[in-house]
Amino acid sequence: MKRSDGRILTTHVGSLPRPDDLLALYRDNAPETELQPRLRSAIAEVIRRQAQSGIDIVNDGEFSKAMRRSTDFGAWWSYVYDRLSGYEVRPGLAGQGRAAWTAGSKERKEFATFYADDGGMGSAGAAGSSSARMFGLTCTGPIKYTGHAIVAHDIETLKSALGGVRVEEAFVTAVSPATMQILANEYYKSPQDYTWALADAIREEYKAIVDAGFVLQIDDPALVDIWDWWFSLKGDVAGYRKWAEFQVEAVNHALQGIPEDRVRFHICWGSWHGPHSGDVPLKDVVDLLIKVKAQGYSVEAGNVRHEHEWKVWRDTKLPDGKLLMPGVVSHATNLIEHPELVADRIIRLAQVVGRENVVASTDCGLGGRVHPELAWAKLAVLGEGARLATKELWR
Amino acid sequence: MKRSTDRITTTHAGSLPRPSDLIALNRARAAGEKRDDGAYAECLSSAVAGVVAKQLSLGIDVPDDGEFGKPMAANYDYGVWWNYAFARMDGFVRAESVPESQHKKSSVADLALTSVRNRRDWQKFSEFYQDPESSGTLVGSAPRRATRRPVCTKPIRYVGHAAIEADIANMKKAMAAVGVEEGFICSVAPGSFARGENLYYKTEEEFVFASAEAMHDEYKAIVDAGLVLQLDDPSLPDNWDMIDPEPPLDEFKKFERVRIEALNHALRGLPEDRIRFHICWGSWHGPHTTDIPLQDIVDLVLTVNAGAYSVEAGNVRHEHEWRVWKEAKLPDGKLLIPGVVSHATNLVEHPQVVADRIVRFAEVVGRENVIAGTDCGLGGRIHPQVAWAKLAALADGARLATRELWR
Repeated sequence: MKRSDGRILTTHVGSLPRPDDLLALYRDNAPETELQPRLRSAIAEVIRRQAQSGIDIVNDGEFSKAMRRSTDFGAWWSYVYDRLSGYEVRPGLAGQGRAAWTAGSKERKEFATFYADDGGMGSAGAAGSSSARMFGLTCTGPIKYTGHAIVAHDIETLKSALGGVRVEEAFVTAVSPATMQILANEYYKSPQDYTWALADAIREEYKAIVDAGFVLQIDDPALVDIWDWWFSLKGDVAGYRKWAEFQVEAVNHALQGIPEDRVRFHICWGSWHGPHSGDVPLKDVVDLLIKVKAQGYSVEAGNVRHEHEWKVWRDTKLPDGKLLMPGVVSHATNLIEHPELVADRIIRLAQVVGRENVVASTDCGLGGRVHPELAWAKLAVLGEGARLATKELWR
Repeated sequence: MKRSTDRITTTHAGSLPRPSDLIALNRARAAGEKRDDGAYAECLSSAVAGVVAKQLSLGIDVPDDGEFGKPMAANYDYGVWWNYAFARMDGFVRAESVPESQHKKSSVADLALTSVRNRRDWQKFSEFYQDPESSGTLVGSAPRRATRRPVCTKPIRYVGHAAIEADIANMKKAMAAVGVEEGFICSVAPGSFARGENLYYKTEEEFVFASAEAMHDEYKAIVDAGLVLQLDDPSLPDNWDMIDPEPPLDEFKKFERVRIEALNHALRGLPEDRIRFHICWGSWHGPHTTDIPLQDIVDLVLTVNAGAYSVEAGNVRHEHEWRVWKEAKLPDGKLLIPGVVSHATNLVEHPQVVADRIVRFAEVVGRENVIAGTDCGLGGRIHPQVAWAKLAALADGARLATRELWR
């Protein structure tokens, strides 16, 4: 994986704004003959645009992961819907929506009227959203990865789109076992068996991505946001730690045989626009995070709930050879970060973990979470802020 | 004004979430429905008592009346802080129709404010601003409806004496009930008020000075009552974005200097140490890429005859500007009230983020000269539950900062 040798490199967490016509094709379940040509051209465009915005390590904007609405927070994981066998939809559970997953949340109790009025999702939780597609999904049989052809196609499309564009490296995102085990399970005897089966299945996708020469990014918000969803109301710290330790084992199981230096691991505390007052502090899980067999760790650090946590890295040493990819611009506000603020955030971390070990990134995917015009403006200031930081750090 | 002599004290920028019964009454009154003035006065008075007590219970040291006397008729509304004053003025009539959104262009010799919809940030991000879901990252947003704006058609005169006396009485009663010594009331600055349409005065300067003359009565009433006066003047920074094309800085400063002269004229005879001056770059939830840097106007800000300056510093567009105070020396005896929590995001600031922000300012201007504040009013701009949580985080952060700064 490229590191910031000589200058601060930039990347982002994955999701970028889809063009309206691509959203429409997905929404209308257009035939492959109509979808594929547009998907291909849209991916070529989004790669060029990332390069123009000063992003060094690019991806396909997650365009190959179906998003059907302009505001949508869930496509990063709902894509597995089409790539795993063993699931059925339970209409009763689907009717409960997100409530079925978040019943143990202290924040949702404390901010009940906020969540009842809107929930920080805007229209992203509405019918037709990617999240809504996952509500009710229940494991009722043996899980198998069936997405080989799809991921091969994603890889091929990305490879051809990268031709002739000057970037440092490209990555492909894939979901973590911890995230998938949020879906209800009726088949496996224990949550552990269930998670282990998911890890075995998703390994196939991880392997395909890395074998194709791309950097694999594993998206694992669940590792930190499940504290709030399942454990916070009871204040069950020990239960959460035990759960999280197992999830790290599971993802490492899925990564067996995959070279660490081709893997980056993303955590965030969930991208919905809520108070996030119950987020588990990074310092309470950082010891587990660095056990994940990935070279790069992508961590939210560009919003008011987690910005102070750069200090965590003064006490917890980033292991030698690893990279930190802090969020220095965020989906959490419409205001566009000032480039000097972006530079300040980068420099602070560079001074703690070493400038060559920092790749500047976003808190979470920007696509579907902020207006497209804002998303692109934020990527541009990320590039600008990285240049300012480089000037300061290599003078 | 109280300073942070032995700990970091806290305040906020003014507007707080109104209770739903008060909003309902405001809505009915705005629609011209049943006007039981006695019931309204009672509802307002008890709401103010409630909000002062609530601020204290959340750890706010210098409270206000939440701007409850400025009638907000909807849950989300960003404009009451200035348009309340029309009801307190003689000289305005409501326009016959909704005005066309005029795109006034400026020349170097003649700077003019264009309409909101033609702000430079709006032009740069026109798709975002025209998208009905553009509040995007925030819960709730003020409806973007065009209204029939008041137009100045004859000499301006302040006629709001009863209204401000009622505000003062409600505030003093509420303060006495909880035993707090210092409280403030907000009032609009002439430069921010006189952005309405003027058909009477020959020049915009005359319009601004006439507004200043009129507002003097409200300023004096607040100070004479022993309350701290907060002047709200976002126009000082945000006029920059309303001038198209971007003007030369010195011309802009000339334009603003007139407005500050008018303000200082309105403040004549009032003791500086009872006055705080609030600027922000406009509280709408937009990209704000065309905000003028604080560095470019800080010298102007410091010419306002106030004892304290309240400045946005808790959002991603202005957070880095704490450094401005390394160069621009805060004059001796004055106070800085930086925004350390903000309406700009639904996420509730972590108390440690709040403390880090306070400590940075304290190290530059001196701990005793910093009062922790908010970027802008929280009421009407963010969900009420989030607003209260942010005030609590502000107080928690101030306690952490105190521990660090007085150890």
